[in-house]
Amino acid sequence: MDQAQTRNFQASRLKGRLQAWFSKPANIILLVFLISLAVLTLYPLLSMLTETVTIHTGREARAAKLTAGSLSLYHFERLFATAENDYSWIQFYQPFLNTLIVSVAASVIAILFGGVVAFLVTRTNLKYKKFVSAVFTFPYIMPSWTLALFWETFFKNVNIGLKTSNGIMASVFGVFMPEWFVYGAFPIALVLGLHYAPFAYILIGGILRNMDANLEEAATILKTSRARIIWKITLPIVKPAMLSTFLLVFASSMSAYSVPVFLGSPVRYYVLSTKMKSLMDSYPGQAYIIVGVMILFGVAILLLNQKVTNSRKQFTTVTGKSGQISKISLGKANRPLAIILVIILLLVAVVPLITFALESVIIKAGDYSLSNMTLDFWIGTNLSERLDQGDSTGILLNPKVWNALVYSLGLAVTCALIAGTCGILVGYGVAKRRGSKLASWVNSLSFFPYLMPSLAFGAIYLAMSSRIPWLRGFLLLGLVGSVKYLPFASRSGVNAMLQLSGEIEEAAVITGVPWWKRMIRVIFPIQKSSFLSGYLLPMVSCMRELSLFVLLVPTSNTILTTMLMQYSEKGWAQFGNAINLLIIIVVLLINFIVNKLTGASIDKGVGG
Amino acid sequence: MKKFVSLLLALMMALCAVGALADVAADIEAGQALSHDELVEKAKAESGTFVVYGNTSRISTAAEEFAALYDITVESNNLKDQEIYTKLRSENGNSAADMVMIQDGAQLTDAIDEGLVLNFVPAAVADVLDEADQQPALVHQYINKLFIYNNLGDNVPAIKNVWELTAPEMKGNVIFKNPESEKVNMNFLVMCTKDEWADKLAAAYEEWKGEAIDLGEYKNAGYKWVAEFLANVTFGKSDTSIAEEVSQETASGKIGLFVLSKLRSSSVLTDNLTVAQYDASAEGYEVKPFAGFMYPMYTMINTQATRPYTGMLFIEYLMTQEGFQPWGKSIGAYSPNAAITVNEGDLTIDVWKDTLVMEDAEYILDSFEVEDFILQHCQN
Repeated sequence: MDQAQTRNFQASRLKGRLQAWFSKPANIILLVFLISLAVLTLYPLLSMLTETVTIHTGREARAAKLTAGSLSLYHFERLFATAENDYSWIQFYQPFLNTLIVSVAASVIAILFGGVVAFLVTRTNLKYKKFVSAVFTFPYIMPSWTLALFWETFFKNVNIGLKTSNGIMASVFGVFMPEWFVYGAFPIALVLGLHYAPFAYILIGGILRNMDANLEEAATILKTSRARIIWKITLPIVKPAMLSTFLLVFASSMSAYSVPVFLGSPVRYYVLSTKMKSLMDSYPGQAYIIVGVMILFGVAILLLNQKVTNSRKQFTTVTGKSGQISKISLGKANRPLAIILVIILLLVAVVPLITFALESVIIKAGDYSLSNMTLDFWIGTNLSERLDQGDSTGILLNPKVWNALVYSLGLAVTCALIAGTCGILVGYGVAKRRGSKLASWVNSLSFFPYLMPSLAFGAIYLAMSSRIPWLRGFLLLGLVGSVKYLPFASRSGVNAMLQLSGEIEEAAVITGVPWWKRMIRVIFPIQKSSFLSGYLLPMVSCMRELSLFVLLVPTSNTILTTMLMQYSEKGWAQFGNAINLLIIIVVLLINFIVNKLTGASIDKGVGG
Repeated sequence: MKKFVSLLLALMMALCAVGALADVAADIEAGQALSHDELVEKAKAESGTFVVYGNTSRISTAAEEFAALYDITVESNNLKDQEIYTKLRSENGNSAADMVMIQDGAQLTDAIDEGLVLNFVPAAVADVLDEADQQPALVHQYINKLFIYNNLGDNVPAIKNVWELTAPEMKGNVIFKNPESEKVNMNFLVMCTKDEWADKLAAAYEEWKGEAIDLGEYKNAGYKWVAEFLANVTFGKSDTSIAEEVSQETASGKIGLFVLSKLRSSSVLTDNLTVAQYDASAEGYEVKPFAGFMYPMYTMINTQATRPYTGMLFIEYLMTQEGFQPWGKSIGAYSPNAAITVNEGDLTIDVWKDTLVMEDAEYILDSFEVEDFILQHCQN
């Protein structure tokens, strides 16, 4: 064989290899996502990193005594090593410690509460399952600060906080809760934990529901005790989901802004996100360093998470074989357990709704007599003459509100469709090529947006859009929302795909069924509930998102949440509460309609 | 990867709008010489929706009335001051505002230096207003935050000297918005440390205690007052909620420092509240050395405006009696134009200027170390 022949041979071998590589849909998917995600996530990251070493105009340049635009490590020195006036301790170290405490506690609460309820609903004969399952996702549907607001209005009293008025607990029941219960680390962690518990419920529940019963049955046959089965079999199987939940809740809690503001400020309890927000106003360089620290933490947990899911350990729970999961009988404990659960859920999910409804009809705060009530804030006209507060018509007669509702819905549906579909594809690609570098890159990149605090993510995209003239309005919001919520979809996509045993697709591959048909006819139907939650989660999150969009909306009347925030800040509590209720009702309606049409819903991801 | 990023960056640069921006500064200069009718004509010739950002909620009422008067499409947005500054810095034409109504003189000074906004003084008020209310930025109105207390019970904090707020028994009874969350509050505290106010605070201390002030580690009486005041303060969420809370029947003994105009709100139990300065004026004494603070709200044209003439026309409108009406119809807003009188029952702007701490942008801009000091005392 001469040289030319060798070259030809090598070339054709390479060509053949490439052809083989590209003939696998999983490879193409991964490559496409690798490139687009690099652009959409690494670019914001890089631009953020440059901000941490750039001196910005205004106060920052003046304080640093450097020209604006110059590069310097000033921000690092100032944030991490300024002893004067305890600056670094106040602006970074103390809030950093508080953030860690709150985020870890919130994650543990979410996993315990969500996990236990998921177990009870999927694996036992608990009573009132339908109710529990339907109501459990309410706290997540509500904007998180509403639960915080409810906590404060319910428990506040004249001995703590502002010490000016009594909430329902004190005025109606005469119970005066102590300060640590109402303000500070405990309520912040609890509210965040409750708010994010549906993550645990959905992720852990999804696995518990679909898991192969063979393992447990085998153990039962071998006379293993219940406790040991749970410890040795059930827990290891749900471990990846628990870790995913921890990651999701930790990162969310870390960047949560409104809850610590409402429940922390009265007792001067600050966390990194609140510091970041106030620094962003005057010293953006230091604010971006805080964003960087938050991302670093997220990445650390992400790596840990990856070590578990990416290892070659098998977590296949859905196989071609059928299996009937045996449900544990709770016996005598059933009813009391169910009732306690229902009461807790009523407290965190239903009572707040009633409170919002009530607060949206009273004129003077704190006076719940019938003479102080009016439906004006919903359906009134000429309000500027009579109440001198807020808009001149009630929200249901206000075209601004309807326009915002339509816009919000359109945005949520768009983001859900894009993120959800991409999530399934990423899940497929990652699961098929599990263990490969490409898969692990795409897996990490698709999760990365989650680790960027919403507010900072929005700020970076705003800066980016100012350089790209056509990236505006709906297009910009849709893009940001889709990227930011991709992690929800890709998580559920990856989790669902990892459960699928290869043999399920193999039969179709052998008979020559094309890839897209396999996806639609085989894979999607099996894991429908997980996939649909991959669409619903972005949709719900988008409907009640605030910080991500606040800087990007063309006007504050564009979407419902920015409108709601504007009203709350103005102190137009009644309008704010009415809009809040409107958002929740709309999301519940969507959930209901999707449920009726497809049989799936957020909670159906779990069953009951 | 690096190549890819640079390729991407190049692509983005190429996509950047090169459409020449109209020279707004020249337009404003031209606009200054136009008669009212000519300005209307120029404004009407501008196409598209006129966009305003304002950090006052009543901008929407003013905008609606302006829109109806001149048959111009107006979109008004009520944003927080900081959001407006952020948007001005990041937005580039298109969805950005043509005109802004904004507070915080210190940041505005920076924004003017950076070339983000331009000043326009309508010919009609140029001869009427004080020079300081016209340059470097036109003042549309002054807003005051006052010591206002709950008048129920037998421990009414009817203060006559701000040092009373630093007494140990006042701990937890003083309510103020966190200076970190609204810069005008921070500006007020910073101003207390300026020599002028520090001296007055020292004199007031002597009057209160009957002995000269012992500064200890503090640089001046202003620092001492700020530190001791903040030690007694509880932070409320917003001025509205502070007004609501201090007005509650259960809130006897509480005093707040908040916007006077909140007393108009139907959710506040106004009867339970007393404004310290109203009492002082009625009974002929002074609250030593100040009864609160006051800051201007400015109107400015965006340097990137695509409808600068409409912006000028709107500013002209806002400066008239009619345009001021949305704010002027209730207490707590004061036009720098002496021809626009205050509401019955309220005090004139001259009284307020004598009794309230006002912003000095230059001093505030140079005092970032004072802000660090204040932050420290917001924490502990």
